[in-house]
Amino acid sequence: MSNTKIRVENLYFSYRGRSVLRDVSVGFARNAITALTGPSGVGKSTFLTTLNRLWESTRDATMQGRVEIELQGRMRDVYDRGMPLTELRKKVAMVFQAPNPLPMSIAKNIAFPLKLAGERHRTVVAGRVEQALRMANLWHEVKDRLQDDARTLSGGQQQRLCIARALVLEPEVLLLDEPTSSLDPAATDAVEELLTGLKERLTILVVSHYLEQVVRISDRVVRFADGTIVAG
Amino acid sequence: MKPCLLERTTVLFAWAAGLLLTAAVAVLFGYLFMHGLEVLNLPLIFGKTPPWRALLLQERVFEGLFPALAGTFMLVLLAICWAIPVGLATGVYLSEYAGPRVRRVLDALFDVLAGVPSIVVGLFGFALAVFLHRHFSERIGPCLLISSLALSILVLPYIIRTTQASLEGLPREIRLTAIALGATKLQNIILVLLPKSLAGVMSGIILAIGRCAEDTAVIMLTGVVASAGLPKSLLSQYEALPFYIFYISSQYTSPEELQQGYGAAIILLLLCALLLLAAYGIRKGLTHLVFYRP
Repeated sequence: MSNTKIRVENLYFSYRGRSVLRDVSVGFARNAITALTGPSGVGKSTFLTTLNRLWESTRDATMQGRVEIELQGRMRDVYDRGMPLTELRKKVAMVFQAPNPLPMSIAKNIAFPLKLAGERHRTVVAGRVEQALRMANLWHEVKDRLQDDARTLSGGQQQRLCIARALVLEPEVLLLDEPTSSLDPAATDAVEELLTGLKERLTILVVSHYLEQVVRISDRVVRFADGTIVAG
Repeated sequence: MKPCLLERTTVLFAWAAGLLLTAAVAVLFGYLFMHGLEVLNLPLIFGKTPPWRALLLQERVFEGLFPALAGTFMLVLLAICWAIPVGLATGVYLSEYAGPRVRRVLDALFDVLAGVPSIVVGLFGFALAVFLHRHFSERIGPCLLISSLALSILVLPYIIRTTQASLEGLPREIRLTAIALGATKLQNIILVLLPKSLAGVMSGIILAIGRCAEDTAVIMLTGVVASAGLPKSLLSQYEALPFYIFYISSQYTSPEELQQGYGAAIILLLLCALLLLAAYGIRKGLTHLVFYRP
């Protein structure tokens, strides 16, 4: 059985007529952390959005190429007509650069994706919320104030909350777009420790500008330059 | 001009403009209250009718503002009820669904609608009433329903524009939060985008309430009269405070009558303030309901 979790072939992407990605072909192994590096504006973040089709929310963007991800043990063409978009995004979760908790309680933030998925059973939701917070190493810090506004948490806690929110749907792939760029060193350490622990369950792709971080957490480094992969 | 001097002049001009506006509002309010405060009492509203009998609709008010007050209140509520769903839906469509070409055309159309003088909207309402009278039922004429529909057309651009602008102004991260978690487009709009832009949307609704309460040209052509009592149905004619103020200030026969006009203007201001406070309350309540309900 191949160890490839994600396979990308001949990917081209343009935004408002400007080429952002060209002829990108690459594979990513399962249960590993791959760091995507390179200067700003070379298409790293855009590349992440082609894996869960998030770019489709952007006007004036076009994409060509093939993206396959192994989901529930089967290699699936992400752009196949039969691929339900909401299911894809549950299995290929994404966390953004700046922590973006919704203006609601900590518990409701984590339960939000479950609500979207139609899960109404309170006991099930509570159990899943606890499980996700434990996976994100946040449970002990927030268990006594689950009903507090999530925006009262520190920056690092907010980012781990966002990771927990992505984990609650039990994804297979986690995409992180510079998840520590707005955090202080202590919060960065906490997020890095969390990611290292998560790779046993997930395939993780993380965009990072920090060389030390890349060395610390990644199993492989893929370097982007001028819209294509130049190393890795 | 030196950059330093230019900056100082700009700041000074901005201060002066702000001060002038504040002074103008203060003078307006002061003038109104100076002339109208004296007559601001229960007989101005209820005349010789006992207030509780008037409020329980047991006795008609002949010499007070109660019918006009109630008429204005009903008119504003009805107009806002028609305008909110249409305005919100159109704003959402323009911001989230419309293609660039359709949006350009609709943007231009709504700009035109926003610039249509209210007397023209009133004329449209009158023509609509005549059309319905001829082709559907002779019972239909200029009435509360036609007035509220015409007013809702007048205020639609406010609600559409503020909804559209608030939605388009949301940062990319917020727009994509729920989508990245598997939300459908509609779930994203209902559960995240609209609640997050509630403040902007409500400011449009608040503007619309103010406009509905003050407009006279539209209602003059579509159903308001000087003496009708409380409207018995949507198809009845009605009284309204803005029209009362216009009528009394142009036809008064004694200084006391004119003073009543000032009193009516203060009551109209208070009614607007009440409606605006209610809108703020609803905004807070809705935000709490959507985001913080356990």
